[in-house]
Parts: sequence; structure tokens; C-alpha cells
Amino acid sequence: MIKIEQEAWRLMVDHAQKTYPNECCGAMLGLIEGDVKTVRTALPLENAYPGAQRERYELRSEDLLVAEREARKNGMDLIGIFHSHPDCDAYFSKTDLENSCPWYSFVVLSIQKGQFHHANSWLPNMEQTEAAKEELEHPHA
Amino acid sequence: MPKIMIPTPLRQFADKKDAMEVRGTTVGEALAELTAAHPDMKKNLFTDEGKLRSFVNVYVNDEDIRFLEKDKTPVAAGDTISIVPSIAGGI
Ligand SMILES: [Zn+2]
Repeated sequence: MIKIEQEAWRLMVDHAQKTYPNECCGAMLGLIEGDVKTVRTALPLENAYPGAQRERYELRSEDLLVAEREARKNGMDLIGIFHSHPDCDAYFSKTDLENSCPWYSFVVLSIQKGQFHHANSWLPNMEQTEAAKEELEHPHA
Repeated sequence: MPKIMIPTPLRQFADKKDAMEVRGTTVGEALAELTAAHPDMKKNLFTDEGKLRSFVNVYVNDEDIRFLEKDKTPVAAGDTISIVPSIAGGI
């Protein structure tokens, strides 16, 4: 399961609401202990998708490299990626699946009319053909 | 010796190590050394045909090897090889 701490959650929701009606994206840093991933902090990153960002996002690998280094420096790990679905449910879309990486948790935040609505976490498989729902615990907005 | 940084989720396949020093003089050799030492790492990085998976990017220091000489990119003592995910999506 994945647990998101208060401050990290605030950063994620803020970033998603501010970028509305576009999609936002970012990295989640924290610790993994046994079956529990704890997100201590979030790193809002720029959506680098060159087209309409209302329905697409793209992370720059350079930004993820920096996120990974930042995590190591602070004794944490890069454990997941978050992005938003403006006026859409927090499912894992075909586009999400085809551009995913099986090493990370993918938290999707549904933003409805500019406000946080609900979220889900997903674990895509290696072949990028399906994603399992991961138990997600986050503070109330 | 060049050093390969191992992303957290892959450390379980590398005896929990977060980095590995390698003797290889190119990125291709260095990655081959990593997967030879830790065979379970291989399917996470390469397809059955031996190509890097679509979600894997490799950097030497701050440069993406796709814009250098790909797997023939030279590496030397003091260089850091990073395995970085490639991620995008939508609705
Ligand atoms: Zn999505």
C-alpha cells in the first residue's frame, strides 16, 4: 500500500488545482518499508507535453534524474509519479499504461471543476498491458 | 571505475545495492556487467530481443545516451551512469 503524508499531499493537490484545466505531473519521494510505501514529500514538475495539456502529460527524464538525486541526498527514494485528470475520473488510461514504468506507483488525482475530487494509485505491469489498483491512504483535503 | 546508480525499485534485484562499480568502457559493456552480476535485473531493463525497454533511458552524468553514442557511449573512471524512467500519460 501507499500512504501519503500531509505536506506531500498538500503539494500534490495544490499543483493539480493550480494547473487545472491542464494536467499536472510530479514525483513522489519517500521510503519503502516492507509492503508500505510512505510518501514524505512531493516534487511538482513541469508538464513537458508539447501539445494540448488538457489531456496529456509528459515528464522530462532530466527532471526525474534530478528528483532521484534529490531523494538520495535526503535519504529518501523516488517511489512514485503523480498526475491529474481534469474533469475526469482517476482511472489509469490506455495512454497512461502505454507510457508507464512498472517500477513505480502512479497516483492519479481527479480534479473536477478545478477542485480535488478523488484519487487512485496504480501499479502497471512490465508489458504495459494492465495496471493493478494499489491501496492508497491520503489525508482529507 | 565508472559507477552505475541503481534506482530504488531495482535494488531488490541487486542485493540491495544502490550503486555498482563496473570495468566496462562503454555504456553497453557496463550494463552487460550489471545484468551478468544480477540476472533478475535484465528483464527490467531489456526486452527478450535485447533492446532497452521503452520506459528506460540511460544517462552518462547529465547526458542522455540517445544524444551521444547510445550503447557505444564511452565511460571512464569518475563517470556516473544513471537509469532513468521515461514516463508520460493522459486521460
Ligand atoms: Zn492519466
